[in-house]
Amino acid sequence: MDLKTMIPELMTALPLTLAITFVAMVAGFCLALITTTLRVVHIPVLSSLAALYVSYARSVPVVLQLFVTFYGLPLLVAIFGMADFFTPNVAAMLGLSFYHGGYLSEVMRPAYLAVDRGQHDAADSLGYTFRQKMMGVVGPQAVHIALPGYGNALIYLAHNVALVMYIGAADVMATAHLIMQRAYNQYQFETYLVLAVIYSIMCLIIWVIVRYFERRSPMYVPAVGPAKRVAMPSL
Amino acid sequence: MFEADILLEDIREILSAVPFTLFMALVTFVFSTIIGSLFALAEYRNIPILREFIFAYKVAFKGIPLVIVIFLGYYGLPPTIQFLASLIGINFNGHHTPNWVLLVIGVTACIAAFQAEVIKGALNSFDNGQADAARSLGYTNGQLFRRVMFPQVVIAAIPDLTNSIMVIMKALSLGFAIEVVDIFAQSQLTAALNFYYLEAFVIAVVIYMIIAFLVTTAADRLERSLRVWT
Repeated sequence: MDLKTMIPELMTALPLTLAITFVAMVAGFCLALITTTLRVVHIPVLSSLAALYVSYARSVPVVLQLFVTFYGLPLLVAIFGMADFFTPNVAAMLGLSFYHGGYLSEVMRPAYLAVDRGQHDAADSLGYTFRQKMMGVVGPQAVHIALPGYGNALIYLAHNVALVMYIGAADVMATAHLIMQRAYNQYQFETYLVLAVIYSIMCLIIWVIVRYFERRSPMYVPAVGPAKRVAMPSL
Repeated sequence: MFEADILLEDIREILSAVPFTLFMALVTFVFSTIIGSLFALAEYRNIPILREFIFAYKVAFKGIPLVIVIFLGYYGLPPTIQFLASLIGINFNGHHTPNWVLLVIGVTACIAAFQAEVIKGALNSFDNGQADAARSLGYTNGQLFRRVMFPQVVIAAIPDLTNSIMVIMKALSLGFAIEVVDIFAQSQLTAALNFYYLEAFVIAVVIYMIIAFLVTTAADRLERSLRVWT
């Protein structure tokens, strides 16, 4: 096993891995915002649909979600005649976005609910509109409470990107498998150790970034400690 | 798409994998809770060297994706077992260890890091004033733990422990990578045999959601019934 050739080869797959992570991060965030809004503001049918979506994203293994997206969505878009659009990479992005959105909305909703009721009432009594209330009063506090959970969600997302290999996306894991096969499967343990190091560094970077924002966020919030919630992974 | 006879056949085949999945989840849950509790107690008592070891363990197992932990276990454990057995003079071929045992060990190692956090959170929720009160009434440490602390800590931990059962169920689905047949792997096999992929996966989704619903409901009931007498 030669680290000097292996690591550059693994790095060639890193842009795709990061792209999948980034798309899922952004799209998942938007999905989570919509879902959380639907669940907080009670609209008869839509909020129960949102609840169903959240329980799907949280109680079904991510591999299975990826497979459902990979086999299910082509049938859906075939109605519009765009089935060619569905490469494994796109399916991976969409599947992980669905997963991340559902998981994240369970971080956002408790954070929103944890903001003191009196703050809502005070903003309402001052005649703030809903948008003003969200941007100026409730939002910053909810962000502060949600940040630790958001950091965990991002780390689990990065972990789960390791699974997109199984629906045929050519990410770091898939490249590692190619390398292993080329070496006649002699150095599997060592190759996985290298992968473990790469993923650990990725998670460390995410953790440092989130930590920076966690340190900064209290300056908008007077004396409200972050809600201590136990983090459990979602796989 | 979605013909009734294929759905029925798929449901029967995929359901047949449920008992084994639940069994593996139970074993993983028991062992990871025991290891996690030991970790949490060591942290609670602030034992010098153990504390640093546990911190390193948590950082390592939270940073590495579970698939990679499972693969590392799959390729690394059999030689290790063989080596350890040879140290105590037993000639044991580690490569004969069943795959599901390796899967359970890998998942247990990973989940234990999170269980430690769950138990630590529950321990932290315990009000120290009650410990002082019990001591002033002359309770010994053992009595304090058994009569005052344990019942409250267990109830505080129930929601997170339920969550972790579901996490374990989902984590076991990665066993298909090392040829362990659980609900997800069985749905893949069924699909590969009759080429109705989406149908088999949708059935697996429904089964997972039903199990999650049942587990949460049961845990809620248990928590409510226990809260009455504390």
